[in-house]
Amino acid sequence: MSALSADYRHDLGIHHYPVLIYAMTPLAALVLQALLPRFLHGYAWFDLPLVVTVYFALVRRDPIQGMLMGGSLGIFEDALTHHAIGVNGIAKTVAGFLAGSVGVRIDVENHTIRLMLTFLLSLLCSAIYVFIYRILLGLELEWSWLAELMKAVGNSAIAAVLFPLLDRTQIKE
Amino acid sequence: MDSFLHRYRNLLVLLALLLAQIIGLAVQVHRTESGRNTLDPEDMSGVRLIRLWADAVVAPPEQLSHAAKLGAKGLWQNYLDLRSIRAQNQQLQKTIDRLRLEQASLLEDAKQGERLQALVDFQQKYIYKTLAAQAIGSSGSDSSRVFYIDKGSAEGLDRDMAVLTADGIVGKVREVFPHSAQVLAINDETSGAGVILETTRIRGILRGNASGRLQIVGILKDDRIKPGEKVLTAGGDLIFPRGLPVGVVEKVVPDPDRDSFIDVIVTPAAHLDRLDEVLVITSTEPRFSAEQQQDMATSETLKGAEADAIKQQQKASQIMAERLPGLTDPNAPAANPAAPGQTAQPGQTPSAPAEAPVPKLLPARHPDRFTPGATPSTGEETPAPAGLENKPDKPTQHPSGQPGRNPKP
Repeated sequence: MSALSADYRHDLGIHHYPVLIYAMTPLAALVLQALLPRFLHGYAWFDLPLVVTVYFALVRRDPIQGMLMGGSLGIFEDALTHHAIGVNGIAKTVAGFLAGSVGVRIDVENHTIRLMLTFLLSLLCSAIYVFIYRILLGLELEWSWLAELMKAVGNSAIAAVLFPLLDRTQIKE
Repeated sequence: MDSFLHRYRNLLVLLALLLAQIIGLAVQVHRTESGRNTLDPEDMSGVRLIRLWADAVVAPPEQLSHAAKLGAKGLWQNYLDLRSIRAQNQQLQKTIDRLRLEQASLLEDAKQGERLQALVDFQQKYIYKTLAAQAIGSSGSDSSRVFYIDKGSAEGLDRDMAVLTADGIVGKVREVFPHSAQVLAINDETSGAGVILETTRIRGILRGNASGRLQIVGILKDDRIKPGEKVLTAGGDLIFPRGLPVGVVEKVVPDPDRDSFIDVIVTPAAHLDRLDEVLVITSTEPRFSAEQQQDMATSETLKGAEADAIKQQQKASQIMAERLPGLTDPNAPAANPAAPGQTAQPGQTPSAPAEAPVPKLLPARHPDRFTPGATPSTGEETPAPAGLENKPDKPTQHPSGQPGRNPKP
């Protein structure tokens, strides 16, 4: 049991990445999230900032870092829309917190776990988004569970490709 | 307290972040008079600042991406255009090459057509039977001025047949093969043709010299021979028919071997160095056109009718001569038995008066003093003794030319 404890895992493997990766990956996620939907015409079933947030929160095993990255990316996402700023920020802050919190308790090297976690956190983000928009703010929002489900699947698929690529960029100690 | 903060640090940060964002959301939303929440149509300064930052972060890469996309699209389009243009250029170049070849071929065909047309015109006007042939080769040597044509013995060619073009004579057939023949050009040293100068009517022998030029040899000095005079075939060599153009006199040079003789250098009428199509005279029997043959048939018919008419006229004259009392003795032998009709008859003009027989007067049954020959001339008039009579075997003719009757003994 000691092997599964948080302190053990936290001490065991905190991945480090070049600063360029830390800076460019979230930026690239934001740019591509704003750019790709223009070409996919309604089939943009993915949320790249969320995938990046989950990844770095997991591998860094740090909820605070995950919250900050998720909150920042969420706010930037909101800023690119005409909606209220902060809805995505709250959702991704929660997702980063959960991913970072889970990362210290599970094997973050396992791809299946990471993909499942990405899928679940995607659904959670969607739920939080809808909750805040419609319940908390009382604003009108048309949404579809099927679309949110497809977005979760899309995020998992992207994670299946992106996570191994980002793993290759980590600094080996 | 420190341990509390350290232990719940993550949650505290979470709560702080959520609280800050919820407050931020709260200030962006306001309640309308109808009780519904809505976003401010105009962003607050802080929200606008955040949007400005987001735009500043995202817009440059987007612009860069867009520019890269346009550049790549333009590059790709240019590449495709370049490829298509290159392929099109190659295609056009091929087309140009093909058209050039076709143009050259058509030009050559047109020239050949003109030459053939001239040859056909000449062949149709020419009275002898000819056969068109194509020059297909040469001897390959300057010392042997012969060339080959694509017609041979199978087409009716034979040795020593004259070869010519519409411009003039070319040579004669030297060797005949089944489907080709060797032609000896007139400018070869071993060739020869009888020629005549058109104006001066001076005859000579045409042959080639070592340099391949035509010259007429064996002519006495004559100042009348001038450059530009036409030279025609004389027809005495039994190869070239008479009157065919040979060339024109270029200049007159003295014969180096004989003092009193000259050599006439002739420019050939035919292009001997550029022969393509030639005519071979296969028969020297006159070949008449349909009109000419019709004219000849008509002429023959007219001749036959005229001869029949003449015969019938002669027959009628003969019958009449038998029936009428004639001046001639029917029993006398005819001077020209082959032309009995030429016997002088009244009202008929003899066709050959110089050869017409002199009519013999029949002896008079009752001679008197008016009987021609009975009265002697003034100089010879002597009283005739009684009993004497004119001799009947010496017929006389009336001075007026009218036939008379000899007194019967």
